[in-house]
Amino acid sequence: MAADLTCLDEVAGGAAPVLRLYRWSPPALSLGRFQPESDVDLTACRGLGVEVVRRPTGGRALLHGGDLTYAVAMPRPPGTAGSVDALYRVLAAALVAGLAELGVTAALGRDRGPAGPVCFAAAQGADLRVGDRKLCGSAQVQRGGVVLQHGSVLLHRLPFDELDLLAAASGDPGHEARAETREETRARLRAKSVTLAELGAPTGPEAVASALVSGFARTLDVEFDCTVGPAVGAGSTRGARMDGGSRPRVQVVPLHP
Amino acid sequence: MMFPEELRYSKEHEWVRVEGGRAIVGITDYAQDALGDVVYVQLPDVGLEVIANASIAEIESTKSVSEVFAPVTGKVVEVNTTLEDAPEQLNTDPYGAGWIFVVELAEREQVDSLLDAAAYQAFLEE
Repeated sequence: MAADLTCLDEVAGGAAPVLRLYRWSPPALSLGRFQPESDVDLTACRGLGVEVVRRPTGGRALLHGGDLTYAVAMPRPPGTAGSVDALYRVLAAALVAGLAELGVTAALGRDRGPAGPVCFAAAQGADLRVGDRKLCGSAQVQRGGVVLQHGSVLLHRLPFDELDLLAAASGDPGHEARAETREETRARLRAKSVTLAELGAPTGPEAVASALVSGFARTLDVEFDCTVGPAVGAGSTRGARMDGGSRPRVQVVPLHP
Repeated sequence: MMFPEELRYSKEHEWVRVEGGRAIVGITDYAQDALGDVVYVQLPDVGLEVIANASIAEIESTKSVSEVFAPVTGKVVEVNTTLEDAPEQLNTDPYGAGWIFVVELAEREQVDSLLDAAAYQAFLEE
């Protein structure tokens, strides 16, 4: 995600737009820019081999490892005029078009009420749902006239989830009120999200990446330069260095299934 | 959408209210509407010396982080700490309870180069 921020700075400095696609190894829990670190159970994260990173973007905790992450850095599209919602809608259209190529019908969805500390427990902003379950969570940061938006498309689930990595008191705002067990909370939170595997859609990272690139290219009417780099670890900037150039660039980094 | 006559405005969508040698700064009604529901405001430190147009604060709204710029040069002498617990005041009362910080002006005349309400509205319509 440090690499994503580098892309934002490069584009702000006049470089061509960038679309990156990558996976995470080892798994990592990313926290929103201003999310309190006290939300995280660091001992649990260490025990499960999960790295903790902070995103430059907003939103809440998201577990990476079973997802394909996309990051797009580009000048704000015409007509969005600084409106966060308008920008989310433009980029959501690209994601929806990409997912459609996988046979998945996703749509922008937004839950009412406050969001808890778990990203996939509630749909906000540019989040995409299939029916009433969240498949793709996204967040953004704007600097000057440039936006970085990144997000995760769930391919499959890991053997553990955010609930195992967050401090018990922060698990979910509805937890105490409902007096439910941890497993009941887990089942309720899981019911709010869905993976491509559960939808019976293709889950191969290369196939999903290819569909998303196509969705972005068609919807935003740009032809990206495409490069392939190595797998990205949490906080690593490996694979982030790209030649300066005037053409929009794509970097696809999905190397393991 | 409301743009009070007595305020000055920046093209980055901040407003300025001058009181003596101090400038009270917040974001405009247009900005709060464009951002959507504000959930967090990262305030500048009191004592910070700022230069006009420098990024000085950050706002999170619907999972998006945006910058707030200093519309004038000077020293930050006060910040609105009530925003720590009630950031939504930026949405509900952008020109009142939603003020963000106060700058002791280095040059009073700098405010004159900012837009008046009519010019800001014309800028928005461009």
